[in-house]
Amino acid sequence: MKIGDRLQGLLVSRKYLSIILVCIGCALISLFIGTDRYSQRILLLIILWAAASSSFNIISGYGGQVVFGYSMYVGTGAYTSVLLFKLLGVSPWLGMWVGVIIAIIIAFIIGLPTLRLHGAYFAVATIAFPLITVPILNNLGFEEIIIPFTGHGALSMQFTDLRYYVLICVLFLAGVLLIIQTMECSRFGYALKAINQNETAAEGMGIDTYWTKMTAFLISAGLGAIAGTLYSFGLLYVLTTFSGFGLSIIVKILSITIVGGIATLWGPLIAAIFLVPIGEFLNAQFGNRYPGVQDIIFGAALIFAIIYMREGIWVKIRGCFRTAPQRPTPSIKPGAMKDMEKQGALEIEPIKPRDVESNIHDPILKIEGISKSFGGVLALENVSFDVPKGKIVGIIGPNGAGKTTLFNVINGYLKPAKGKIFFEGKDVTYFKPHDLCRLGVGRTFQVAQTFGKMTVLENVLTGAFSQAINFAEAHRIAGGVVQQMGLAGRAYDQAVGLTIWETKSLEFSRALATKPKLLLVDEPMAGLNPEEANQIAEMIKSIAKSGITVIVIEHVVQNLVKIADWMIGLDDGRKVTEGTPQQVISNPHMIEAYLGAKWRERHVKS
Amino acid sequence: MEVLVQLIVAGILAGVSYGVLAAGLALIFGVMKIINFAHAEFAVLAMYLPTYFFLHWWGLDPFLSAFIALPMFFLLGYGIQRLVIERIIGTPEAETSTLIITMGISLLIANIILVIWSGAPRMINQPYTLATWSVGSVLINKAQTYSLFISLGLIFGLFWFLNRTMIGKAIQAAADDPEGSAYMGINLHFVYGLAFGLGVAITAAGGCLMATYRPFNPFYGETIIIILFASVVLGGMTSITGALLGALIIGLLQQVSALILPLALQNVAVFVVFVLFLYLRPQGILGKEGRMV
Repeated sequence: MKIGDRLQGLLVSRKYLSIILVCIGCALISLFIGTDRYSQRILLLIILWAAASSSFNIISGYGGQVVFGYSMYVGTGAYTSVLLFKLLGVSPWLGMWVGVIIAIIIAFIIGLPTLRLHGAYFAVATIAFPLITVPILNNLGFEEIIIPFTGHGALSMQFTDLRYYVLICVLFLAGVLLIIQTMECSRFGYALKAINQNETAAEGMGIDTYWTKMTAFLISAGLGAIAGTLYSFGLLYVLTTFSGFGLSIIVKILSITIVGGIATLWGPLIAAIFLVPIGEFLNAQFGNRYPGVQDIIFGAALIFAIIYMREGIWVKIRGCFRTAPQRPTPSIKPGAMKDMEKQGALEIEPIKPRDVESNIHDPILKIEGISKSFGGVLALENVSFDVPKGKIVGIIGPNGAGKTTLFNVINGYLKPAKGKIFFEGKDVTYFKPHDLCRLGVGRTFQVAQTFGKMTVLENVLTGAFSQAINFAEAHRIAGGVVQQMGLAGRAYDQAVGLTIWETKSLEFSRALATKPKLLLVDEPMAGLNPEEANQIAEMIKSIAKSGITVIVIEHVVQNLVKIADWMIGLDDGRKVTEGTPQQVISNPHMIEAYLGAKWRERHVKS
Repeated sequence: MEVLVQLIVAGILAGVSYGVLAAGLALIFGVMKIINFAHAEFAVLAMYLPTYFFLHWWGLDPFLSAFIALPMFFLLGYGIQRLVIERIIGTPEAETSTLIITMGISLLIANIILVIWSGAPRMINQPYTLATWSVGSVLINKAQTYSLFISLGLIFGLFWFLNRTMIGKAIQAAADDPEGSAYMGINLHFVYGLAFGLGVAITAAGGCLMATYRPFNPFYGETIIIILFASVVLGGMTSITGALLGALIIGLLQQVSALILPLALQNVAVFVVFVLFLYLRPQGILGKEGRMV
């Protein structure tokens, strides 16, 4: 577990170095090819498409929000700089940045409503923009713009020697790759990957999903605009709406990204090296007779890639060279948890809630008259209760009593119709889950919500980021929690392959890594055998002992009775009773709710 | 005033013709949660074959072609679903991957048409293509009127099929809860193929009808698809009724906007409404509770 910060730093700097070396390599190839325009042109195309596809990869690959209308931003960059140059004589070096700003504004306008909605809306909205821009530009008389050759050379980004363009594009590619590399091992990158895997869980781990997606989208759009400027000045004599905003641009970028490998650093460059020369060759051979042949190839490549090689070439190549990571002997056993209290605090600092300033006698959470209905069905009706600090509060109730709805309301996934929620005296009724997480409300889910394709450690790291000041601290927290929860043996395995028990442990680890003051635990014992259920109960007890207040929802009452300090009984969305576990389970209404009126009549003297 | 009446009539005629296409798109999205980006290209393909070339080769009337297109494109759609799209459905990224695949298909169809039949715009020349009736001072195109009635028939047929037959009900059940309906013995592969085939077939028939009064070229799909997207978003994505209503509104809007906008920019008005809906009422006109049919 102890990846030293220095080792980590070394690994990262090695990756930076390889990016710089590859880019220097590209520049040298270009230098040695000499003035052969055809070869230089193909090299230029490869680098440019690799850079554009990598930019596209940020939001679409890493963030998982595929921008189908990416040509909008490439086209905007191209048209802005070319029009500024032609009409006002503005240097493309300046026009490029104007293009970037306009592209970012357009992306913001598109993203603002659609990134909140179901993914289909985002897809449709992003496609619609370039489709409508083409007729508008055509109507304005900008269907074809001849880029004038002024002979100012460097100032107007016009060179007769294509090697200068290659050099500029290599610098751009290096910039894009360095941005991606920095992103990959930053808090932002982890947040983006987490969103891609499981948006609900990401939100619960203190990640502001909406603005993270938006930021990635704006970065991608801005870089796309730069690619557009370089494309039009480096390769085109005539800029057309088709070459700027056309569908074939996006299909090219999509196929390069997918064939190379979605969300990989090197994938797009490698795929571009394969695909671009093929496309150019076909275009040169058959382009005159069959004008659509290049698009047919790219369209077919796209369909083929999606069906047969979803992970792309790069992952395959990498797989050949990479040996499986060494794995410490799996130490994970349900029994391992028992020792947590005894030895948990040995080497690693114990999981503790953040310092609590407010008065110890105040309830940590105060629920006042919460009501919530779904299309006429009342799920919660006027529920009020206080949660004392440092205690374990159990909420019981039969299926459909409104337990999970209550959690979702407390946690900010749902907005209550009426009522107020106070956390440490602060009104948090309309807070989002990620805000609550930062305030100190952690959550585990009834149906485990892990980031399946990330490793166990990365999962926990995502939670740790919500409180940690920097990467190293997050690593330390995550490492500690993983160790403490007995997951160390699985730290480098993907979360998707864990057993039910391990998945539950992971959920707890991730929630604890956010250093909660209050932990909401939703049916932790569902699907576990009695032995494992006992272990969970022990785990909850030790969590509470470390000073974290815990609210547990549980369907199986017996397990809860043993650990809860206080219990609340829900039925039909109403709070039926509240008291010590013994009081609650002997309440006639609760007995009736669980076992029916007949059973109560027979067995309970009321 | 007469101009306005003329535009409203044109708007209704256009709206219903878009409605047929949008209904297919909404059916596919409603059942499989797939955005079929190639949707308009199927309509364009139908304009060439059977419509244009059956008339050209054998003198077959385009209105008959519309009915020939139904089984032809049903088989095509069913085949594409079973051979290509089905491989991806059910994976976590299915929504995105299917959109990417259909994007590839759309590019393939458009460019194959381009390679085989050239990019020259084509037009169908039948006695009714440019003929009109005049009601007062309002002129009504004959081809469009015939198309209107056939379109209404197709829509009625689709509703009848979905609501009154066992297979139609199975499709609706699969749309509502795929897992549950699979447990009830519904073969999802078959039902999805059916829904995709049906969606493509009705769209192709709509394309045939459209070809009787509009010139077209291989890339005509790019012009229509945005109208279809707008109609479907207005209708709340999954509702066929909503999509029809959306298409009608879009058709009216597009024609009436001719009062202030130049002809080439008709679709800009459509687009503005589309964006406004995304901001203000993303759940569509009928709201979240809108059912599929």
